[in-house]
Amino acid sequence: MSLLILSAVGLAYGGLAANSFSMDRHYADIIGRGAEPGAGLRRRCRSVGWIGILLSLLACVGAAGWHLGPVLWCGLLTLGAIVLTLLLQYAPRRAIQGAALAYLAALLPGLTAFF
Amino acid sequence: MKEGLRQSMAWLHTWSGLLVCWVLFLIFVCGTSAYYRDEISLWMKPELHEAAARPAVAPGVAAAHAVAVLQERAPKATRWIIDLPDERTPVVNANWTNPPKKDMSMAERRALFRKQAVVLDPSTGAEVASPRDTRGGEFLYRLHFDLYYMPAIWGRWIVGVCAMFMLVAIVSGVITHKRIFKDIFTFRPKKGQRSWLDGHNATAVLALPFHLMITYTGIVTLMFMYMPAPTKSLYGADQQAMFAEVFPGNERVEPARVSAPLADLAPMLAQAESAWGLPPARIVVNHPNDANATVQLVRPSGTQLSNIEPSMTFGGASGALLPAGGEPGAVSAMRRAFYGLHVAHFADPLLRALFFLCGLAGCAMFATGALLWGVKERQKYAKVVAKGGRAGHGVRLVDALNIGAIAGLPIALGAYFWSNRLLPPGLENRAALEADCFFAAWACAAILAQLRPTRGMWRLQLGLGAALLGGLPLLNALTGTHLGIALFTPGLRAVAGFDLVLCALGALLGHAAWWMRPKQVPVKEARGAPMEAPT
Repeated sequence: MSLLILSAVGLAYGGLAANSFSMDRHYADIIGRGAEPGAGLRRRCRSVGWIGILLSLLACVGAAGWHLGPVLWCGLLTLGAIVLTLLLQYAPRRAIQGAALAYLAALLPGLTAFF
Repeated sequence: MKEGLRQSMAWLHTWSGLLVCWVLFLIFVCGTSAYYRDEISLWMKPELHEAAARPAVAPGVAAAHAVAVLQERAPKATRWIIDLPDERTPVVNANWTNPPKKDMSMAERRALFRKQAVVLDPSTGAEVASPRDTRGGEFLYRLHFDLYYMPAIWGRWIVGVCAMFMLVAIVSGVITHKRIFKDIFTFRPKKGQRSWLDGHNATAVLALPFHLMITYTGIVTLMFMYMPAPTKSLYGADQQAMFAEVFPGNERVEPARVSAPLADLAPMLAQAESAWGLPPARIVVNHPNDANATVQLVRPSGTQLSNIEPSMTFGGASGALLPAGGEPGAVSAMRRAFYGLHVAHFADPLLRALFFLCGLAGCAMFATGALLWGVKERQKYAKVVAKGGRAGHGVRLVDALNIGAIAGLPIALGAYFWSNRLLPPGLENRAALEADCFFAAWACAAILAQLRPTRGMWRLQLGLGAALLGGLPLLNALTGTHLGIALFTPGLRAVAGFDLVLCALGALLGHAAWWMRPKQVPVKEARGAPMEAPT
C-alpha cells in the first residue's frame, strides 16, 4: 500500500516533468537559451508524460481504492506541480534529473511484486 | 458589449474576487487550520498532555472506564456519547445530555452541553484535571462558516454569498487566463507585476481541483439553508420528513420508562471489531438503563468519502444486534460524499497534509490576487505619483485592507494562542475572552493599517506576526510540553507537529518582513510616501 503511494508520487511528478520538458520555455531553461525540442522528442516527452500521469491514477486507485484514489491523485498532482514549478525556476536541471529518479522510484513496487 | 469574452470575464474576475477576497482569506485560513483542529485543541489544553503521553490501551478498557464514570455521574441522561481515543485525540471524551428544560434558548442548551462532559485518562479511567476552558481548534473551525459576534445564521449567509462569488471568480478566472496551459509551470520571481500574476496563477491553477471542490462542496454543506425552495415544494411544511429521508438512522427512540441494567459493552465492541476489522471510534448510548436503550457503535473514518460513517446498533438491555436501518438513497449518498470531501474526516495523514497544502495554496491565491490589484491599479497613477501627487483613494483603501487582512490575521491568530496560555485558567467566560483577544488584536492591526498603509506598516505587522507565531513553541516549552519531549513521545506527536508548523509559519512571515526592507529607497522618502509597489 505505502509502496504503491510512493509509485504514484513518482509517476505524478515524473509525468508532469516530462510534459514540461516538451514545452519551449522550460526546455530552454534546462538545455540552454535558444534551444528548442525537436518534433520527435516533443512527441516522446508528451506520451511518456501522459502515460505517467495516467499510471499514477491507477497506482492511487490501487493504493486507496476507487473512493479515495482519485482524490489522492488530484492532491499528488497539485503537490507535484508546485514542486516542479519551483524547481524549474530555481534549479531547472534538477527538475529533469528528479523526473528520471521519480520514474525509477516508481518501478520499485513493480520489482518488489516480482521478487 | 463590444469587448470580447476574455475582457468581460477579466472584469468579472477582478471585481467578484476583489469585493470578497478579504473575507475569503479569513475563511480559507481558518478552514485550512480546521484540517488539524483536533491537534490544535490538544495543543491548547496542556492539562491533557500528561494523559496523552501514556501508552494506548485497548478500546474495551477505555470504554469500560467511561461507562463506569457515566453510570455514576449521569445514570438518568437521555444520551451518552463516548469518543474513544485515537492517534489524534489520545483521551476519552464522554458527554451526556439531559432532557432540556422548556424555556431554554439554543445558546443555553449548548453552554450546558459543554459543561456535561468529562475527559478521562484511557489507561486509568481517572478524570483528567479539568482542562482549561477553551474552544481550541473548534473556534477557528466555527469562525470559517459562522463568523463571530453575530447570529450564526447571518454568518452562514455572508459566507455563502462569498463562496458563490468565489465560484464566479474561479470560472471567470479560468476563462480569462489565455495561457493556462502554456504558463502552467511558470513562475518568474523579482519581475514586479509579472511575478504577482505568476504567483496568483500558479497557486490558483495548480490547486484548481481543490479550489473548485472546496467552494462547491462548501455551498452544498449548507444547501438546505441557501436553497429551501425545492425541499419546500416537495415536502411542504413537513421538513422533518425530508430530514428523516436524507439522514436515515437518526430517528428518535422513545424510552420505555422501565429501568433495565445496561448490558456489558465489551462483547458488542468485539463483534463490531470483527465485522469491520477496526475498533469503533464512538459509542452512543440512547436512554441508558432503560428497557428501550440502544447502543450505537460508529466505525472510524478512513475508507470512504461519506461524512457519516456506518454504524451498528445493539439493544442496550439485551446486548443483541438490531437490524440495520435503511441504506441512504443515491442523492443522499452524493450529498454525504460532497460533505465528506469538504471536511476530509476520511483522510489519512498523507491525504490530510495534501488538503492542508492545497488550503495554503488557496490562502496564497487570495493574498497574491489582492496585492496584484493594488500593483496594477497603482500603475495608472505612476505619472501622478512621479510628479509628487498621490495615488487614488481606492488604492489606499485596498492597500490598507491588504495589510489588515494578510499581515493582520497572523497577529490575531498569534494573540489567540498566546492568550490561551497566558490567561489564568480559572477565569469566568475564559473561552469567550480568548476569542475577544483574537478580534481585539485583529482590530488594532486593521485600524493601524488604515491609518498608515505604508511599506513600513507591512514590515511592522509581518514582523510582529512572525514573532508571535514563532515564539509560541517557546511559550509551549514554558507552560506546556517542551518540543524536544513531544517529538519523542508517540502520544504527543500532534503537539510537536503543531509547534513545528508554527516555527515554519514564523520563519515564512519573518522572511516576508525581511524581504519588505527598504531597498535603494532613501529612508526619509520611504517613510512618508505612499506604499511602493513591492517588487
